[in-house]
Amino acid sequence: MPEASRFFPVNVLLLLPFMVFVVLWLSGRKFNRLAGWLGALATFVGLVISLWIPNPDKVQVFSFAWTQIGERSITLDFRLDGLSYLMLAVVHFVALLVQLYSTAYLKGDPNLHRYFAFIQLFLFSMLGIVLSGNLLIMYVFWELVGLSSYLLIGFWYQKKRPVWAAQKAFVLNRIGDAAFLTGILLLIYYTGSTDLEALTYSIASISPGMLTFIGICLFGGCMGKSAQFPLSGWLPDAMEGPTPVSALIHAATMVAAGIFLLARIVFLLTPEAQLFIAIIGTVTMLLGAFQAMSAWDIKRVLAFSTMSQLGLMVTAVGIGSWQMAIFHLVTHAFFKAGLFLSAGSVIHALHGDDSFDAQDMRNMGGLRKPLPITFICYLVCASALAGLPFFSGFLSKDAIITEGFVNLSAWGNFGLVFPIAILLGAGLTAYYMFRQVWLIFFGESRYSTSGIDPHESPGSMWIPMAILALLSGFWWFSFNPFNAGQGWFLAYLGVSETSHLSWVPLVAGLVTALALGAGYWQSRANKPFGLYHPQAIQSDKAWPSWLRDYAPNAYFIKPFEGIFKFTAVLERYLIDAFVNLIAQTTVVSGHLLAWVDRNIVDGVVAAIVGSAKSLGKGVRSLQNGRIQSYFLVTAAGMLLLFIWLFFLL
Amino acid sequence: MIDHILSLLILIPLLGALVIAFLPDQFRQQLRWIALGALLADALLLLPLFMNYQKLEAGLQLAENIDWITLPLGSLGVVSIDYSLAVDGISIPLVVLGILVLLLGVISSWNVIDKAKAYFSLYLLLSASILGCFMAQDLFLFYLFFEFMLLPMYFLIGLWGGPRREYAAIKFFIYTFVGSLLILVVMIGLYLSVIDPLETARYIGLATPAHAQAGEVALMIQRLLAEGSLSADQLVHSFRFEYLADPGNYIPGSILNMETGRYILNMPIRMLAFWFMFLGFAVKLPVVPFHTWLPDAHVEAPTPISVVLAGILLKIGGYGFIRIVDGFFPYEAQYNILPLGLLAMISIVYGGFNALGQKDLKKMIAYSSVSHMGFVLLGIAAFTAEGFNGAIYQMVSHGVLSSMLFLLTGVLYDRTHDRSIENYRGLIQVMPKFTILTGVAYFASLGLPGFSGFVGELFTLMGAFQAEEMPVWIPALSTLGIVLAAAYFLWTYQRMFFGEFWYRNAPQPFEDLTNREYGMLVPLAILAVLLGVLPGIIFNVTGPAVALFLD
Repeated sequence: MPEASRFFPVNVLLLLPFMVFVVLWLSGRKFNRLAGWLGALATFVGLVISLWIPNPDKVQVFSFAWTQIGERSITLDFRLDGLSYLMLAVVHFVALLVQLYSTAYLKGDPNLHRYFAFIQLFLFSMLGIVLSGNLLIMYVFWELVGLSSYLLIGFWYQKKRPVWAAQKAFVLNRIGDAAFLTGILLLIYYTGSTDLEALTYSIASISPGMLTFIGICLFGGCMGKSAQFPLSGWLPDAMEGPTPVSALIHAATMVAAGIFLLARIVFLLTPEAQLFIAIIGTVTMLLGAFQAMSAWDIKRVLAFSTMSQLGLMVTAVGIGSWQMAIFHLVTHAFFKAGLFLSAGSVIHALHGDDSFDAQDMRNMGGLRKPLPITFICYLVCASALAGLPFFSGFLSKDAIITEGFVNLSAWGNFGLVFPIAILLGAGLTAYYMFRQVWLIFFGESRYSTSGIDPHESPGSMWIPMAILALLSGFWWFSFNPFNAGQGWFLAYLGVSETSHLSWVPLVAGLVTALALGAGYWQSRANKPFGLYHPQAIQSDKAWPSWLRDYAPNAYFIKPFEGIFKFTAVLERYLIDAFVNLIAQTTVVSGHLLAWVDRNIVDGVVAAIVGSAKSLGKGVRSLQNGRIQSYFLVTAAGMLLLFIWLFFLL
Repeated sequence: MIDHILSLLILIPLLGALVIAFLPDQFRQQLRWIALGALLADALLLLPLFMNYQKLEAGLQLAENIDWITLPLGSLGVVSIDYSLAVDGISIPLVVLGILVLLLGVISSWNVIDKAKAYFSLYLLLSASILGCFMAQDLFLFYLFFEFMLLPMYFLIGLWGGPRREYAAIKFFIYTFVGSLLILVVMIGLYLSVIDPLETARYIGLATPAHAQAGEVALMIQRLLAEGSLSADQLVHSFRFEYLADPGNYIPGSILNMETGRYILNMPIRMLAFWFMFLGFAVKLPVVPFHTWLPDAHVEAPTPISVVLAGILLKIGGYGFIRIVDGFFPYEAQYNILPLGLLAMISIVYGGFNALGQKDLKKMIAYSSVSHMGFVLLGIAAFTAEGFNGAIYQMVSHGVLSSMLFLLTGVLYDRTHDRSIENYRGLIQVMPKFTILTGVAYFASLGLPGFSGFVGELFTLMGAFQAEEMPVWIPALSTLGIVLAAAYFLWTYQRMFFGEFWYRNAPQPFEDLTNREYGMLVPLAILAVLLGVLPGIIFNVTGPAVALFLD
């Protein structure tokens, strides 16, 4: 069947990680040492396939009947087009590097087979999202990604915090997913399907107001997965998971799924929905950047930064340019994964006993000498994130800012808010990355008192880092380091003519330079970045730390707690009390009736019996054997009977 | 045999109950084997049942009709009560689920020694009446089975339950009994209003029972009935479902006739009857605010009885809604989509919030049942094909998953006699396999795609969105239920199973799952996945029947 043969690659791409997941999970500890290599091999095969099949000009759709319900048949649609090829390559590539890195990073962990099994499960679900051709099937894989994220964050289940963080991530994602599902079901109601191809025609029949609502509901899915305000609280806490997991899932791929979703549904977003999206994105971007400036945990800084960059991508979709968002998604995937892997290398180097916090930047400093390779990789990736010229981040950020100024028309001058906010965000990014690099690699070393002797990581760790650092250069995406519009990448995404404002790179560069200057000025200060400031330790508790409170359950359980305590009271004192009241009334009236029965009814009966007795005595006295008396009584009786018959009837 | 296969399904457990009841005491060890044998025989009978069941045919199949009681009552006409059993796509999934759950219940009762004779005897009596409920096609017969469930259940909770068993048993009894009375009232009304056209024809000598003309004869009688040319003592009244569902069989001017219906307190009597019936089944389902018997009953009931209660007994409520309430009062049901949907939404959200607040593991699961059965009501209230199919599917799915959840709770309770969530921590360290299976059950219950819970919620919600009369915000707010499910299941999972191992009371031997427990739990887990990946297993059976029903 030609259909089957065309579908073959998609089949393999999905089944391969799933089979490896099953094998590794069931195999137990026997495969512990082999697991990483088996996973990496499978992912390598997947990468080859996904690079081998591309035919980006053609959209290929494959449908399978899943089930029939009533008149409606539910199909599983898969779709291959330019966007999915791109995502396939990125996901496979980062996953391959991360797995190679993990074999060294997690060496000696007794549960490695489980770890790599879950990574494969994640790949299966993530590829499912990328390949899905309708929103319902995307939702299925969406949830499975949530599961694999839960399993991987909570990988160290003996510790309290990872498990709590895993649960928090799942539940916060569920809030977004509930909205996502509502949007999907509304689309099914109005158009009868969620097929991405069919929707482009059928949404015309939906009223604009409802379409805005649907768009915002679908965006809810993105708010959960891509950690948008106010569902963003789980991402920093997800850093409790193993660092390579943070690199793969919580920086490069899973969190980008929300952006991918937006890119898929961009045609149904009304201007109002876009405005909503842009506002949420901007708030997230700035909030993440501000929080990244004050965090001390090396991974949390990167997590807040991821949140901020995701906000930037969401804003890009909001201002009507999903291609730029995808562009930034790809560049960000490489340099942020590189940053996380390098951070992992730092943590790995400093790892000691439990009394020493190897993730706290206050315990670092001066690490550029013992860890030269890590330093270079970190510096390159950080430069890309900070948006320095000649790096990929500069290109993609610049493209988004340009679009922001060009697409003003939709909202008039109000629209200026967004590109200006992005410029501000870019400045903040440059500042916190400078702070982080300085705190880790420069200054005096603050770890030596703990007897830690840092050492450079093995090759299987630094080679993936170096590859990702290399990919942070501009030349992979465009030959002109200042204009992405001339590169192949945007052309590939179908952007035929891009507007280029030559002053935008200039202004962006200026803002970045200013921020770096501020950072340098801070580092020369008496107490650089408040490092020895006693209050700095408390900064984690400051507003808006309610988003990521350390106290377990405080964020999402507390508000609920009020409600469920209220319902428990309602249950006990209203519903049950009402029933009890009825029961008590019944019992009391039962007792009352019993009393009535005993004293009144029985009394009446007793009275009747008593009176009957005395009557009997009287009657007996009548029956005294005298015939005259009988006659008299009979006559009187007859008379009474007649009177009754005549007068009463 | 095949002609009486449905009767056999009821008779075998009933016979088993009698055998157990009259067996001398020295066979005490064999009682459980008899109970298991009876239900295994039922399970084996499912094979010929499936072979003779035409999946694509929508109507009733494998029917058995025997005239049971025929009693001329003068001006009240003739009472005709039939022993009438049959199955269709709506009842078959529930019959199968029932046998499965009851079988698991026996295996889970394996160590009941205390008053074992009474226990297994009552258990089989309960089994027979539950299965009877799903197959009866005569309202009188249904009511008989429905009432007969109460008695064994009352004793099973009241004698073998926990510390507050008497309270829970009496609460269960009173709630359900009040519900039954409401159903009884409507039943009498239906009796007074509905005739059996074929029997009437035969009774007045208009026709001989020739099958070919049955339809014509029925139409002729209905015409005569409408003209009023039949006198009251000529009418043969019936309780058969098929006659109750046909408006043509309602006597003109009778209290439940659709056109000439009367009013009480400005409310059509039919509407009143609808709400009475609804309340009767709402207690069983249960629908908030008629649910408070359920958590108490679950907490006090022994594990196998909890399994039966959640796994299959509640489904009689849902089945009754579809077959009886919606079957006899379709217009009233469609008129009341909004209030029913609202009640469903309240059940879903309210049950979810309450589950979040529980400290007792069994109570948490009981409230999650309230929430999940709310989805059943939501699907039924929608009155759409997706809704009905989804509701039946959700009932099967919840039957599988809640059985699993209660069995898992029982595993822990057997070891420590303690169900308090707060008393445990880090159980994964001592019972890893138990933890994994609990995780599977929790994720399946919170509606993870790939498991059956997701499909049930998806299609009941889809059905609710499809209903024109249902405002969008009802199903939209109902999705809050899936958020809450994630919160209460995962929060419980986190608190009890992860972190360092700790147990509040005296150390207990925390033995991991035994083979018997594996044997019960693993098939359920596999079933949950199978149904979740291939929902067609259910939908192919229910689809035609629902389509016919909606006609």
